[in-house]
Amino acid sequence: MDYDDVFVLDNGACTAKAGFASSDDARIIPNCIMKAKSERRRPFIGDQVEECRDASGLFYILPFQKGYLINWDVQKNIWDYIFSAECLPVNFPETPVVITEPYFNFNSCKEAMTEIFFEEYDCHSLLRINAGDLSSYHYFNTNQNSLCCLLVDVGYSFTHIVPYIKGKKLKNGIRRIDIGGKVLTNHLKEITSYRQLHVMDETYVMNQVKEDACFVSLDFYKDMKIAQKRGKENTIVRDYVLPDYTSIRRGYVKDPAVAPSGEDGDQQTLRLNNERFTVPELLFNPSDVGITQMGIVEAIVDSLSVCPAETHPHLYRNIMLVGGSTLFPGFRDRVCKEVRTLAPCDFDVNVTLAKNPITYSWNGGRLLTQDPEFSSRLVSKDEYEDHGYNICLDRFDV
Amino acid sequence: MATARESGRLKESGKVLDEATRKRRARKALEALELDNFHEDPHADLVMSKKVPKFQETLDNRSVKRKKGKSAEYYKQRFRKTFPQLVEEDRNYNPNPPNYMSAQAAPSKCPERRFCAVCGFPSTYTCVKCGARYCSIRCSGTHLDTRCLKWTA
Ligand SMILES: [Zn+2]
Ligand SMILES: [Zn+2]
Repeated sequence: MDYDDVFVLDNGACTAKAGFASSDDARIIPNCIMKAKSERRRPFIGDQVEECRDASGLFYILPFQKGYLINWDVQKNIWDYIFSAECLPVNFPETPVVITEPYFNFNSCKEAMTEIFFEEYDCHSLLRINAGDLSSYHYFNTNQNSLCCLLVDVGYSFTHIVPYIKGKKLKNGIRRIDIGGKVLTNHLKEITSYRQLHVMDETYVMNQVKEDACFVSLDFYKDMKIAQKRGKENTIVRDYVLPDYTSIRRGYVKDPAVAPSGEDGDQQTLRLNNERFTVPELLFNPSDVGITQMGIVEAIVDSLSVCPAETHPHLYRNIMLVGGSTLFPGFRDRVCKEVRTLAPCDFDVNVTLAKNPITYSWNGGRLLTQDPEFSSRLVSKDEYEDHGYNICLDRFDV
Repeated sequence: MATARESGRLKESGKVLDEATRKRRARKALEALELDNFHEDPHADLVMSKKVPKFQETLDNRSVKRKKGKSAEYYKQRFRKTFPQLVEEDRNYNPNPPNYMSAQAAPSKCPERRFCAVCGFPSTYTCVKCGARYCSIRCSGTHLDTRCLKWTA
């Protein structure tokens, strides 16, 4: 090995998870450029947005569309920031890079990525890999007795369900649902704007509202009934205090047990009732909002239907949840409960939520760099110069 | 523009939305769920300050010896392809499943659930004019006053 450290970049549509394999965990960097009304002459790249004093009406410029890298100039600007002295400086000529891309990535996106890393950044060597492959590597690495893993990755642009059999993905079984964190936030914005307060321009804030207040219902129609009750019997309704960027920097859910006091007078609040669970519900019932696709649990069963019968008990026993939108309270229990009702009753159903679903894949990449086979999966700069892009087609399983 | 066109046609069709308009409404609502922003770029009318470090300068500050980089504009030109173009290209490049198109989850086999377009609770009634759902007289009133035949969605 002629290198000391490997740079792992899980390049997501919402956040980039980046860092050297020698570090304890990834740095999570918004993979976008943001513009604020309050700071008229400065775009915020990635996590620079933390310096933004007033995040109301933030305008987003994203490199990804529908989960695929489309706006390369935007991505290049963000990468330049990530690899700069200001963020995580990389000495590329001496550093192999592991970078993720989505399942069924388009050919010209693959070529562009390869060209930028070899010809622009001059990286030592490169491994392009699906983020899900890193997650499954992580899973098999920590569950050495498991033969299979059914990965459910709920991302920003979409959700993927992917069966991994003895470490390899079964491409036939991959199912994509076109719902992820972005659709959920946009739906919450839409219904909130129609029902009480215009928040269509407040993606940043409403995303926080979603993260702070939404949950996955374990009994949807029962929760609907509770949300229709008045007074104390409605245990679902909450008030959410919006940030004003003077005294309140970040919004929060008001404690329902604390009676309102005079000090609350100037606070602007949102009342959240059935919104709290009808929003994440879209992941389980996309047709609730008119998207004619199966929900997560139905798609799990559909994915399994093309896997060899002898793998089914192993897949049901090793369902792994990753991605930011699995963080809603109740998510794991709902998947578990519904899969249990659909699975043959003599099979065990075991659903695991990653301890950190956002960096689970990145950490899989970190573990992979320690694999004895790791360096054989890389394409070096010399090989790329000798054989061109074709060597990437041969070596990378994406 | 869409508002004018639609309200024009509504008058002709006796104030009931035809199937095509209903479908277009539904499609627009789905497209809105994919948008990154609903408002205009707040900096659109500005020339960026010279004080903002150019991306290339940030790069050059590093001690790493490297050739002169290409500008972001180069990448914009070099890899300019829209999402529909990429999907179309993939049809030719990967005509056989599994591919991007085939991986899409099939329609659900469960019956569609119905919710009030106003309050979000389960609904039993359908608006005869536009096909939206509502749950009560109160929500029906709100619906008629706001969205029904008006172009607000
Ligand atoms: Zn209603
Ligand atoms: Zn109507």
